[in-house]
Amino acid sequence: MRWATRPGIHVDRTACAWLIRRFIDPGAEFSFVADIEDIPAGTTAFDMRGVELSHRGRDCTFETILRRYELDESALWDIARIVHEADLEDERFDAPEARGLDVLIRGLSMVCSDDEMLELTGRLYDGLYEYRRRATMLGRDPA
Amino acid sequence: MAPPGRWVLLAYRLPREPSTPRIAVWRKLKRLGVAQLLDGLVALPLDSRNREQLEWLAEEIVEAGGEVSIWLADSSTAAQEREIASRLASAIAAQYAEVIGQARDAAGKPLSQRRRTLARLRRELARIRRRDYFAPVEREEADRAVETLAESIVELAA
Repeated sequence: MRWATRPGIHVDRTACAWLIRRFIDPGAEFSFVADIEDIPAGTTAFDMRGVELSHRGRDCTFETILRRYELDESALWDIARIVHEADLEDERFDAPEARGLDVLIRGLSMVCSDDEMLELTGRLYDGLYEYRRRATMLGRDPA
Repeated sequence: MAPPGRWVLLAYRLPREPSTPRIAVWRKLKRLGVAQLLDGLVALPLDSRNREQLEWLAEEIVEAGGEVSIWLADSSTAAQEREIASRLASAIAAQYAEVIGQARDAAGKPLSQRRRTLARLRRELARIRRRDYFAPVEREEADRAVETLAESIVELAA
């Protein structure tokens, strides 16, 4: 399937792309368009004003996608809390990792293209997911 | 204090009732540190984060039955821009001054209370910095006041 989002991707969009590729559509192809009117036919857009898979109520797009595709694994919702705080900073969740993640990804976006961002952050979220998964199994943060 | 160059503007109108979404929007605007140009017209220095935050807010305004549009703008004169920038800077300076006052007040308090105040003020400083586009002198002073409070805790605990 083809997917599209706004260029200049940051925490929410990189996390969504990882989520889509890993849990929804392994063959996902991503493109970047600035305007909702430029979304090619047959492409699912996300994290853009006016599309279904975007901010909804108090949710950021990552949370919207988890709900829409009924992904309820707790490690994914742990990541959702971090992404939410990095993206919205509304202090709804206690996610001290958010600031660090925000800085790392913002810095990376200054030296990488959007395609490179997807590749590099994909591994980062693989690791974050594994970490949260082990933390859930152990009942404490893994060392 | 260098003027930012470009601005992102949000023009909006929300129904008077219910008041909950009106208040929610107002709180978010305040948190972002917008310059209020007119009733229903606010401005922020243009960067990708500010633009994005205003776009999500626009979506919320639409969902609450309001009208909204977003514009990218230049000030037509430097003087006008300076005026808005200095208004923003002095609002932020007052918020730093509040932190400075609280950090100094905490100095004579018991250790546990100092620790709580320190944690709270550090969070508050991070929030203010996020909307501080012009770095008034009070910013450094606030950093110093909070660090002094932190040092007093380390010394006492040592």
